[in-house]
Amino acid sequence: MQILVVEDEKKLAGALQKGLEAEKYLVRVVHTGEEAFFLVSTEHFDLLLLDIMLPGRDGLDILKALRQKDFALPVLILTSKDAVEDRVRGLKAGADDYLVKPFAFPELLARVEAIARRSKRAEEPPTMKLADLEMDVLRHSASREGHELMLTSREFELLEYLLRHQGRVVSREMLARDVWNETGRFTPLDNVIDVHIAHLRQKLDEPFGKKLLHTVRGVGFVLREET
Amino acid sequence: MMTWPRLKLVRTRLTLWYVLFLAAFFVVFIAGASFVIVRHMGTQLKRQAVQDLETVEGLLYFNGGQQLRFNEEYHNHPESKLVQDRLLEVLSLDGTILYRNDRLGMRTIGGAPFTGEGVGGYSERSIRASDGTAVILASRQHSLDGHTILIRLAYSQQPIWDHLKEFLMIVLLALPLTLTAAAVAGYVMADRALDPIGQMAQRAEQITTERLHDRLPVESNDELGHLARVFNQMLSRIEQSFEQLRRFTADASHELRTPLASIRSVGEVGLQKDASPEEYRDIIGSMLEEINRLTSLIDSLLTLSRADAGQIPMKLEVFPVAEIMEEAASLLDVLIEEKRLTFSFEGEKNALVRGDRLILRQAAVNILHNAVKFTPAGGSISARVRCEGSGILLSITDDGPGIPTEHLAKVFDRFYRVDASRSGENKGAGLGLSIAQWAARAHDGEIGLSTAPEGGCTFWIRLPLASSNPAG
Repeated sequence: MQILVVEDEKKLAGALQKGLEAEKYLVRVVHTGEEAFFLVSTEHFDLLLLDIMLPGRDGLDILKALRQKDFALPVLILTSKDAVEDRVRGLKAGADDYLVKPFAFPELLARVEAIARRSKRAEEPPTMKLADLEMDVLRHSASREGHELMLTSREFELLEYLLRHQGRVVSREMLARDVWNETGRFTPLDNVIDVHIAHLRQKLDEPFGKKLLHTVRGVGFVLREET
Repeated sequence: MMTWPRLKLVRTRLTLWYVLFLAAFFVVFIAGASFVIVRHMGTQLKRQAVQDLETVEGLLYFNGGQQLRFNEEYHNHPESKLVQDRLLEVLSLDGTILYRNDRLGMRTIGGAPFTGEGVGGYSERSIRASDGTAVILASRQHSLDGHTILIRLAYSQQPIWDHLKEFLMIVLLALPLTLTAAAVAGYVMADRALDPIGQMAQRAEQITTERLHDRLPVESNDELGHLARVFNQMLSRIEQSFEQLRRFTADASHELRTPLASIRSVGEVGLQKDASPEEYRDIIGSMLEEINRLTSLIDSLLTLSRADAGQIPMKLEVFPVAEIMEEAASLLDVLIEEKRLTFSFEGEKNALVRGDRLILRQAAVNILHNAVKFTPAGGSISARVRCEGSGILLSITDDGPGIPTEHLAKVFDRFYRVDASRSGENKGAGLGLSIAQWAARAHDGEIGLSTAPEGGCTFWIRLPLASSNPAG
């Protein structure tokens, strides 16, 4: 999948490129809207990561121009304008999604994947597996080594989310938004999430030899099989 | 300066209006006075004519040749005759002119007598003489030596018009003078009245953000004094806001600097010597933690600043206020369990409130979170919802150490922490209660706390009770 990153802040652009390339995406980086417009018109991209505040023509301008020329590629807007009306303007201009700076990189990855999935129309599978961990979402059951895990419904949702993103780091903001459905960014959920993770870890990892749930300090949590 | 021409304009406008009203008043007055003069003099002429009829009757006689004569010998001075401006005509009933006085000469007045003219007292009318002179005419039938004669006596109306003309002449001459004088006086008066405004404007111009403590002098108790007082009150509020802003900026930069300092030190120390990948991971993780703290701090600041500017849109709905309390409790229940706290909730579950559910829940969560943080393990927290008149009281009581009274007033201030040394441990930015306060105020409510001497404190939010039932 080919991604075009339009970001004038060189440090951030470089970090995005490295991070996305580490996830096996093909990444091109440009620093101005004009360059982006030219590249999109001449080459094929599957996704545009577009900063709003750009020197010269700003991101919204570029986006509108692209949509007028019937370029249908998905666009994810990056903005530091955290006001509702800016989001609304972004979506109106034809963006598929937006991220407010400073965003967590796992969050960006999740959005990029979501957009990639949307284009592939992949269904979420009802059963998932990681090492000896198995989950059947429809039957609401999870087990390790064939032993049923006695999870509360919140813990089950948490595990389901981690399992769907297995191998990827999940930030606390993502959990707050997607598992707790908290849209207010200031609701103090970090403690709550940490305690739930601790409870889950007790049931998921402690009785078994192999640890699956790992904390990535300063970033979030990841469910993966350590090698 | 742009203010002066504008002020002058107000003066000119005031004066113009003043003069215009005065002129209009004069016009009405002159019209009225003219009417009165004409009427009054007309009445006088008539009366004079009627009185004169009596006199004339007595002075008419037939001489030997049966010719009618008029005895004018009653004047003591012959020249007095000339002053008399009566017009006299005597006719027989068939219209033959029997006598005309010198002043009338060859003119006639009134033409042929009509039936009943001068019978029973006198007849009176305004007509024109044969030469067109407008006259007031009085006529009476009179028996003299066996003859019935018709005496007609008239006065020219000309003196009335002369009089009026004279009056108007004087008035029209005086009017421009009066109006000019009034205009000058009006302008001077307006000038004087508006002068303090000019002074106030000048003074106000000197009040800048650096000199907000300056006030306008309040010299009088009149409208301008009122204006000055209102202006001063406004200045006080602005000064207060500026002071708040200044303090807020100072506090905010302090709060931002603390995590920045950590990031910097951790990074610098980490680079001092070679370390294992695990150690580097730890260093970067530690820095990221501080960055997360910075991010959430900035988010909260943005929320508050948007709240201050009234830019947070409210989605109003009517719902039982107990629900937000229950939701807050279920959100935080792991923390409550973790600290082995006892939580109880009681009260009127059906009391309705009208407001933004998310914002109010945020307030409840923040207060409850605060209580959970400061209640020692094993303690208890109780929440209540109570109706009080037209309001709902939502309260959360803990049995923690309580808050010293000197801190009570400041607890809702931004970045305020009761125990500054504990800020690190609890990791709060000191904004949660400020946000709760904003949420309460945005719903026309109040927030407060009380603390008991034996420890424990109660945070409460009072919200207006929604009168209507939620439309189903």
